[in-house]
Amino acid sequence: MSKPLQDDTLLSEVYIDSVSQLDIKININYRQFNLTIQLPIPLKGITGIFGHSASGKSTLLRAIAGLEQTLDGEITLADKKLVDTKQGLYLKPEQRQVGLVFQNSRLFDHLTVLGNLEFAVKRCKHNKLSLDEVIKLTELTALLEYRVTELSGGQQQRVALARAILAEPKLLLLDEPLSALDQHSKAQLLRMMLTIQKKLNLPMLYVSHSLDELQQVCDTLIVMSKGKVIDFGNIHQVIHRLNSYGDADIMHQQTSLSLPIKQFDNGHGLTTLALSAKQDIFLLANEDFEQQTSLRCFILASDISISLTEASDSSIVNHICGTIQQISHQRNNALVTVHCNSQDFFVMISAFSLQKLSLTIKQQVCLQFKAGAVRTFIH
Amino acid sequence: MINSDLQALITTLEMAALTTVILLIIGTPLAWYLAKMTSRFKVIIEAVVALPLVLPPTVLGFYLLIAFSPEHLPGQLWQQTTGQQLAFSFSAIVIGSVLYSLPFVVQPLQKAFEQLGDSLLEAGALLGAGPIDRFFSIVLPLTKASFITAASLGFAHTVGEFGVILMIGGNIPGETRVLSIALFDHVEAFDYARAHLLAISLLIGSMVILAAIYWLNLPKRPQDKARSDQKESSTYE
Repeated sequence: MSKPLQDDTLLSEVYIDSVSQLDIKININYRQFNLTIQLPIPLKGITGIFGHSASGKSTLLRAIAGLEQTLDGEITLADKKLVDTKQGLYLKPEQRQVGLVFQNSRLFDHLTVLGNLEFAVKRCKHNKLSLDEVIKLTELTALLEYRVTELSGGQQQRVALARAILAEPKLLLLDEPLSALDQHSKAQLLRMMLTIQKKLNLPMLYVSHSLDELQQVCDTLIVMSKGKVIDFGNIHQVIHRLNSYGDADIMHQQTSLSLPIKQFDNGHGLTTLALSAKQDIFLLANEDFEQQTSLRCFILASDISISLTEASDSSIVNHICGTIQQISHQRNNALVTVHCNSQDFFVMISAFSLQKLSLTIKQQVCLQFKAGAVRTFIH
Repeated sequence: MINSDLQALITTLEMAALTTVILLIIGTPLAWYLAKMTSRFKVIIEAVVALPLVLPPTVLGFYLLIAFSPEHLPGQLWQQTTGQQLAFSFSAIVIGSVLYSLPFVVQPLQKAFEQLGDSLLEAGALLGAGPIDRFFSIVLPLTKASFITAASLGFAHTVGEFGVILMIGGNIPGETRVLSIALFDHVEAFDYARAHLLAISLLIGSMVILAAIYWLNLPKRPQDKARSDQKESSTYE
């Protein structure tokens, strides 16, 4: 388990004049696929890009990186034009100062781990970052002399991440970097991405088809479908909007939350989060939470139940009362939006239960969910 | 070995070495271009490069002889710039050898470049490496075995050349008289003892070079596999 690094002074200076905005106005036309994007993306923190496998997420990243040559339009990164096809401007990937971590790490087999890192250092024009510092951040100290073919998938992605950072890009793109990894490596790499983002103030665009990975690290979320951006905004709000129009094939309907940690362990292995001054939410404590002040978590709509009165004699630890805002029917189910303590909760119940309780809008109800239903990851 | 045979050996080695160097210089960009080419003219260029594999060497030699003669443009230009006749010269047999051994250099390199794919080159570009830098820091180390194979095959095949040289070089000692021609002379003169000596040297020499090539390509195979696996998974992106 990694501990958050304390010494922030050295590295954060590198990215102090960090980019403010990535402005994209592009068209890409292939025979079976069109991508049209007009979007200014504020470059702060980690921005997620979510969508189906053929939604154009990777194509968008490749266009920003300079690997997609057949495009029309403009891309501007912090006042620096990367592409302007009207003026015949098209910067090569090596001129863009944009990093990209691929799904398959694409390490150089003929070099050691250290060799791969030095490849980036040798070609970096500024060399403000210290190699040792990045090696420590990515926990590669013990692996430096290994050949990259001897590493596990998670280790390879850590090398790829470190290598990309050492080129000192103005923007780091991550194209499904976790999709081939096991759960433990995923959590480890996500934690590293967050630490690195904060420490270096390096903006990142992170493509994934996994909403629970994205909501662990992203502040803003872009949703793409069929080559277009269909939603963009605060990650929790976008996920909540996805509940009503999102495709059930790629996402679980859920309530997505960022809450301050009130107590790491209440003595019974439960962590307490503060939903409001009076209302707590309990979840199963995990040693990873100990170093954090707030927590990203989600509750699947199918994990919450509704009762008309508060059940005081239940083993279920989380009881929250609120008002029904909306009821939308979906096949044999109904998605009920309940407003409690200025937070919307999304609850999936059967049409049968909806009828049995004869729920209506503005009605007062109580929600119940177990501590185990408050998740940080789907295991 | 008798003096004239020794001279033939030196001429042969000089011709083969120079040919190999020229082939690597022009064959590498040609192989690269073919590996990356998607146009339908690719098959035509590939066929032209492969022609010497199937064509009787005398056909190639015949057309080169005509082209190199002072009555035709290439021969004329050569004579104007160098002041010497091209046909029946050392330069002529080197040019002939370059064309004749071209597929033996281009094909292994093209195959290696195709197998390498674009993924590592893209990664290199994003780390700030320009095209020349990428060639020397990524392509060359990863295709080293193919370069050695290509150079050895080109060299060995040039040493074994006969028909083209006979047509455009003739049999001038110290200039165009190479081992295979000398061997032919000995047979014509019924001097089988000297013919045996040259034949067995050529046979053993070629055997050693080929064995070295196959040995060189042995340990590289698991790594080639790892790379092709990587390439496969990149198609799912």
